[in-house]
Amino acid sequence: MSLILRRLTARFQTGNLIVRTCSTDKDAPEFDMENPFEKEKLQCVLCKHKIEADYKNVKLLSQFQSPYTGRIYGKHITGLCTKQQELVEKEIVKAQSAGLMGTYVKDPHFFEDPELFNADKPIRPHRF
Amino acid sequence: MIAYELMILYRLMPKPELRTALKRTSETIFQKGGIIRKLENLGTRDLPFKISVHGVVYNKADYFLFEFNAPPSSIASLFDEYIRDVDVVRRRLYKKTEPVGFECTLDNEMKPPPYRNDVLNLIEQAKSQQGKPKFEYNTNLDHYPFQK
Ligand SMILES: [Zn+2]
Repeated sequence: MSLILRRLTARFQTGNLIVRTCSTDKDAPEFDMENPFEKEKLQCVLCKHKIEADYKNVKLLSQFQSPYTGRIYGKHITGLCTKQQELVEKEIVKAQSAGLMGTYVKDPHFFEDPELFNADKPIRPHRF
Repeated sequence: MIAYELMILYRLMPKPELRTALKRTSETIFQKGGIIRKLENLGTRDLPFKISVHGVVYNKADYFLFEFNAPPSSIASLFDEYIRDVDVVRRRLYKKTEPVGFECTLDNEMKPPPYRNDVLNLIEQAKSQQGKPKFEYNTNLDHYPFQK
């Protein structure tokens, strides 16, 4: 950039013209800045709000449970990252073992809870 | 000593009996050389499934949570001792979990396959297996002389 400018000023000086040129790089825009148009990094619900799954928090865990069969939804439906999904599944198993949470039924008290995802529209197609 | 959580369900009892049951539970912890940090009453709840213990089927239970520190060697005997108690419907001992720090990898997982880390790892694994030494017969023949 500065090279071109320097060349330009040289040419104008020979032609006896008064032209305002940018001799220093002071006003030149910085091009080594970060890409301002970069997309925001995707994060799953639990990582975004920094929530940790705990086996005593049955209300949270039952949101990842099917109201029809009581089974745990897969990662392609819940939209969690691999690690969070693993933790959630672990805690659900712990809660079910401790008698806090059903294995075949979701507690009807939690039917009205807001949905974190749409089970009918998985992120990736089902395996079957 | 490691921090543990004891999730214990008692059968429905009048208060004085429940008090003695709780005392019994906590005294067994003390006997094994443990310290109780917290005792929480999670209330009377309907069980999500019926539980049959000591020849009785239960549909409701009193939920209690103990947080305690105890030597790991005593955990097996504690666990065994609680189910001998006729008032206990169910008990579970869990190690107290500490928050695990990790980065969310969802952004990477949502990319098309050739950019995903798990797919890249698979490709690398396949590549490393290509250079595996192949068994040679050392017969100086360019074919296998016997029937295969
Ligand atoms: Zn995540």
